[in-house]
Amino acid sequence: MTRWTMVADLERCVGCQTCTAACRHANATSPAVQWRKVLDIEAGSYPNVSRIFVPVGCQHCADPPCMHVCPTTATRQRDDGIVTIDYELCIGCAYCEIACPYQARFLDRAPHFAYDAAMQNETERADLARVGVAQKCTFCSDRIDFGLENDLTPGIDPRATPACVNACIADALHFGDADDPDSNVSRLLREQRSFRMHEKLKTDPGFHYLYGEASDGSPERVRPAADGESEAGHIRARGVEPSHQQHWDWKAAGNFICGGVGSGLFLFSAIASLRYAELIPLAWAGLAIVALGLSVLLLKIGRPLRFIYVLRQPQRSWMTREAWIAGVLFPLAALALWTGVPSLLIGAAVVAVLFLCSQAMILKWAKGIPAWRQPWIVPLIVTTGLAEGSGLFLAATAQLSAVSLLTQAAAATAVVLSALRAWTWRSYLKALEAEGAPTRTLAVFYAYRPGFFVLGLALPLALIVIGFAKAAVAAPLFAIAGVCITTAGAVLKFILVTRAGFNQGFALTHTPVRGSGNAGPAVKPGWSMP
Amino acid sequence: MPGKVVHNERTVSTYCYQCVAGPDLLKVRVEDGVATEVTPNFDASEVHPAGGKACVKAFGLIQKAYNPNRILYPMKRTNPKKGRHEDPGFVRITWDEALSLVADKLNAVRAAGLTDQAGYPRVAASFGGGGTPTAYMGTLPAFLSAWGPVDMSFGSGQGVKCYHSEHLYGELWHRGFTVSPDTPLCEYLISFGANVEASGGVCGVKRHADARKRGMKRVQIEPHLSVTGACSAEWVPIKPKTDPAFMFAMIHVFLHEHSRDRLDIPFLKQRTSSPYLVGPNGLFMRDAVTRKPLLIDAATGRAVPFDTAGIDPALEGSFVVDGIEVGPDDEVIAHKAVTVGTAFTQLVAHVKEYSPEWAQPICDVPAANIRRIANEFAAHARVGETIEIEGVTLPLRPVSISLGKTVNNGWGGYECCWARTLIGCLFGALEVPGSTLGTTVRLNRPADNRWSSVKPGPDGFMKYPMNPTGKADWISRPSARSAHRTLVPLVADSAWSQALGPTHLAWMMQDENFDQLPVATPPDVWFVYRTNPAISFWDTKAVGKAMANFPFTVCFAYTHDETNHTADVLLPDCTDLEGLQLLRIGGTKYVEQFWDHQGFALRAPAVPPQGEAKDFTWIATELAHRTGLLGAYNAAINRGAAGVRLSGKNYDFSLDPEKVHDAETIWDASCRAASAEVTDGAESDGLAWFREHGFRVKPFPRLQWYLYPKLVEVGLRFEQPYQEQLFRIGKELGNRLHEKGVNWWDKQLAEYEPLPRWHDLNALYEVALAKHFSVRIADYPFWLITARSMQYSWGGNVGLQIIKEVADNVAGHGNVVMNQSAAERLGIADGDIVEVRSPLNDTKGRVMLCEGIRPDTLLMIGQFDHWATPFAKDFEAPSMNALVPMLLDLTDATGSSADLVKVKITRLGAAP
Repeated sequence: MTRWTMVADLERCVGCQTCTAACRHANATSPAVQWRKVLDIEAGSYPNVSRIFVPVGCQHCADPPCMHVCPTTATRQRDDGIVTIDYELCIGCAYCEIACPYQARFLDRAPHFAYDAAMQNETERADLARVGVAQKCTFCSDRIDFGLENDLTPGIDPRATPACVNACIADALHFGDADDPDSNVSRLLREQRSFRMHEKLKTDPGFHYLYGEASDGSPERVRPAADGESEAGHIRARGVEPSHQQHWDWKAAGNFICGGVGSGLFLFSAIASLRYAELIPLAWAGLAIVALGLSVLLLKIGRPLRFIYVLRQPQRSWMTREAWIAGVLFPLAALALWTGVPSLLIGAAVVAVLFLCSQAMILKWAKGIPAWRQPWIVPLIVTTGLAEGSGLFLAATAQLSAVSLLTQAAAATAVVLSALRAWTWRSYLKALEAEGAPTRTLAVFYAYRPGFFVLGLALPLALIVIGFAKAAVAAPLFAIAGVCITTAGAVLKFILVTRAGFNQGFALTHTPVRGSGNAGPAVKPGWSMP
Repeated sequence: MPGKVVHNERTVSTYCYQCVAGPDLLKVRVEDGVATEVTPNFDASEVHPAGGKACVKAFGLIQKAYNPNRILYPMKRTNPKKGRHEDPGFVRITWDEALSLVADKLNAVRAAGLTDQAGYPRVAASFGGGGTPTAYMGTLPAFLSAWGPVDMSFGSGQGVKCYHSEHLYGELWHRGFTVSPDTPLCEYLISFGANVEASGGVCGVKRHADARKRGMKRVQIEPHLSVTGACSAEWVPIKPKTDPAFMFAMIHVFLHEHSRDRLDIPFLKQRTSSPYLVGPNGLFMRDAVTRKPLLIDAATGRAVPFDTAGIDPALEGSFVVDGIEVGPDDEVIAHKAVTVGTAFTQLVAHVKEYSPEWAQPICDVPAANIRRIANEFAAHARVGETIEIEGVTLPLRPVSISLGKTVNNGWGGYECCWARTLIGCLFGALEVPGSTLGTTVRLNRPADNRWSSVKPGPDGFMKYPMNPTGKADWISRPSARSAHRTLVPLVADSAWSQALGPTHLAWMMQDENFDQLPVATPPDVWFVYRTNPAISFWDTKAVGKAMANFPFTVCFAYTHDETNHTADVLLPDCTDLEGLQLLRIGGTKYVEQFWDHQGFALRAPAVPPQGEAKDFTWIATELAHRTGLLGAYNAAINRGAAGVRLSGKNYDFSLDPEKVHDAETIWDASCRAASAEVTDGAESDGLAWFREHGFRVKPFPRLQWYLYPKLVEVGLRFEQPYQEQLFRIGKELGNRLHEKGVNWWDKQLAEYEPLPRWHDLNALYEVALAKHFSVRIADYPFWLITARSMQYSWGGNVGLQIIKEVADNVAGHGNVVMNQSAAERLGIADGDIVEVRSPLNDTKGRVMLCEGIRPDTLLMIGQFDHWATPFAKDFEAPSMNALVPMLLDLTDATGSSADLVKVKITRLGAAP
């Protein structure tokens, strides 16, 4: 087999960005889209400071999170390990951008030029197929393929070698087949010590970093943390520490909010309608809310006219699964509500819960966002959706009639689900702290926590208790409590998506040797460690 | 791959010489007639020291060609008023009209006389970038040569932005206009602020990366953690401008803490002036008859002339001898039985007080670190070892010291250059494999290579072309507005001398009279190419004001900029990828260009000129034709003014002097001559061959990287440690100036010390600033420094988007870089907008906080502050250039100053 691999020698790299510029030329990327770039990291405290230059880009992981989440099969992997994007299939949902822990993917929503109007060279090479879709480093696969067709060795013959490697003036970048024990990269990896970024995420990246110590054949010295942690005092972390993801905004958050509220509302309304037929419109409303969320999503994707491609990858992508489930949910629910057949109603309710679960799984598979990939996100999103639905259901039923058994049951359900949600939230946060997370993610959550406790649990609980005690005011109190529960859930998801969605950032397990001495401590800026 | 189907694709070979670290070779991919991609030239991978690669700046060239902000047509000014706030009112004219305007002016100048009433050339020209514009100006040098005297002394950065003192002292001591480690063999390098990873070009970066992998230890001594500091094994944050103390302390360690046998004693005895006897007046003791310096034959104890064969000179000690001292103006002082010591003995005494403990508070570096670094240096020197280079056995001394800007220019530059060269000599580590080497000559002649400039001088050293200081031959009436030959003997009189220091005097004199010098006149015609002194000099406000008074300025213009804002005529020339030119490559050249080949490379046009931009050779030919200088112009080309002499021993491709030749004809002849030169007349391939192959070279002997074998062959010594010659000419220069009544150069005269003493340079700056601006210097607590940027330096590329884009990936660009703790104390947060004010001026920018800078230092990378250049004027980047005053008090004897000033910082607000 062949595994094309990039090796960056951190002892050699001087951060000059010649590779960045060469890549921009070779691949005609638009301004600020840098498939290859070099980070400039400073770590330490004056006067014991180190500054490290780290080339980054697509790591062509053997187990690429971007590919797993891609709903359209646009992102695929070749037999030689290169991860590819089919611009004709990609819908620009940006899920892959969020799943990538290396910030390697870009989504350019409109053509951009160096100056106001396109220059001749930009016009000559403009590629509209790239607009509105995901793009990233290809390892210059066209050059590799050309080389292989012409008996050239990629990584050795410049015509078959990625442009960044060719251009590197410090000979810091090397490219070759890691599966070939005699290749240039295999030799480098054998003779020198190296690490890969974010090993703990088990993506098996095809990008290795040499840090300048000769390997004497002994096992790798154990660092303080396998994934690297900062021992290094202050870190000038701009561009290095986790930054907030820029791809999923209020529209994506709206889908999660509407998905939770709508499916929860549908669930409770549909079940309740078995006994209270007047609740059928409420179930319709739930369905409409789910539909609203999904249609808002259409505004978000780069290629909305291709949205149907979202159905192409049910075997892997939870976004596809969400779409398929929605595709089942709407006709089934409509039929159920139209006919009122109990089994259909129950069936539709189950599908609504599955829809909710699929939304939770979408977040869990976003490997690039530590706050989302944490496994407790699944119970959190599910309980939040159910609580939101129950809250709205309670608010609605409280208006329907005088306090009835239905309302009381709804209130009790909402209380139970709010408590369950509070517990999963607490567990989620604890798990996040235990595992380590971007400090700014935690800061957002800590700031939100007291408000969430009051709005999402304490206040509605108090209102409902009072409502049970004083029947005269129960209806308005229950309604307010319901709205509080729903609002708290919506705010939680809004914050989770648009405020706490910090990415993985970049980290080193070793700072490199520079000519003499030993490798330095690990650097992982912007992270809280347990 | 992106894009449409390409019907016609080709690659064009060319070179990049945007910075002084070039030229480097590259190729340009051209698709359907449009340049789309810059790539290395791997055809040259075995020839070029960096494997045929070009640095990031070369990747800006395509945007440079297609930049929509280019000036594409000749233009003339319609608003006679000049100044920053005056709209020039440029209007489009034809080339014929533009050239007529210029030629009419030039013809009027010729009619009036080439020099004005003050004796200064009426025509002036400023070219930027350390000589690199010549790689793009086609045959303009032939036109200038045909013209006659041209004043090149209106500086665009030199003196303050260059390695000025190193240029002069480097050429004096070891034919090094710039100085480099022999990086491929060096094992221990101390770098005082030399930012080779930013300014060393592709060759520098590659050689140092290779050296790191070999295990070379580089210690970076610098106030901030530059990219070079980042890539070094150790960073020593020294207080700005205290490097001489650090180096003096190292010398102290070598001479007072180490045993003598750790030094290279044979080298000191045979290849330096260490054993020369120094008389009571600080001059060499000389033989009364031959006037040759004396030394002691250790075997007999007798004083003999330095070149007496077969003796073992005494390195140190006191001796009673007879002889003479020859002082300034040939004053002879005779001595009988006087007790004298050797130069080495003087040196040992001189550095006795300069211990690491003494240096510690000055440099703010622990004495233990200074001592350790000195010890490590000595331990790596391998005294006594040899290496074979091309069959010749040479000493191997893999230790070196490099100096950066602000260290090797301005006050203290002398001390640092001296100490660096001297330390090399102590270990025999000068101009031998692994050690400190000169790169090229620009002041000595001939300039074809360093070896041929090695000519014996009277005292056993290499002869140096000092400007005269004798009564009879001192040039009392300056030939250029910088008065360089009048004031600076060391700057010599080559084609490069005018463009060296003190170029700021040319600007200063436009505003103030210098007692006893002719009143400086503005030039009748000023040509400007590839430079923007209104941004790139010091005290840019004053420079801008001065140029606004120039009556007729002709700018070869790429885009509108701050200097051509005052132009009368704008001439759009072909950019790098559009023009045609043949360039000499190879041999040894700054910064780290050490080739094993030499020859020529062609800059073939990759794309047609945009708009009405014209090839520079066409412009130069037109100017020559229209000024009646065609014959002289063509003759200059025939003599080699365009880079290659057109005739040789067995070939002659000379142009008919009386004809107008087009650019292709001129360069075809040049290519033929180049082919013949490289092949000793065997080949005569012309332009077509070079278009196809790009370059043609022959081997360059590696032995010639090193001056030592040539010195041995000629039987000469390095002029170290004792600077008797400088001491004497300094006195002579003082006599001349004082005879003329000039006293304003006295401070500079004091620098001519035979063994430089330590001076408190920080106090010198503080006192000068306080005095001139009547400020309390304590109110300006920070030292402001700058650093080069590989992305921008020399490139003239500040208007290119891709350069800005990639430079933004390198921390510090466009910011005021400040120490985190220092900022916290002042309540300044990362990203805040601040004002940085020197006693002269202020600049504004965004703060970037970091740990890799001293708490008493601020840093502004590169040179920005543009207000006219499209794209760049929107950067809102700070620049120190407007903050550094041009002051005589801050000017050293070589005519340079350092990029350094004291400032205060005030928070203006949070980032918007």
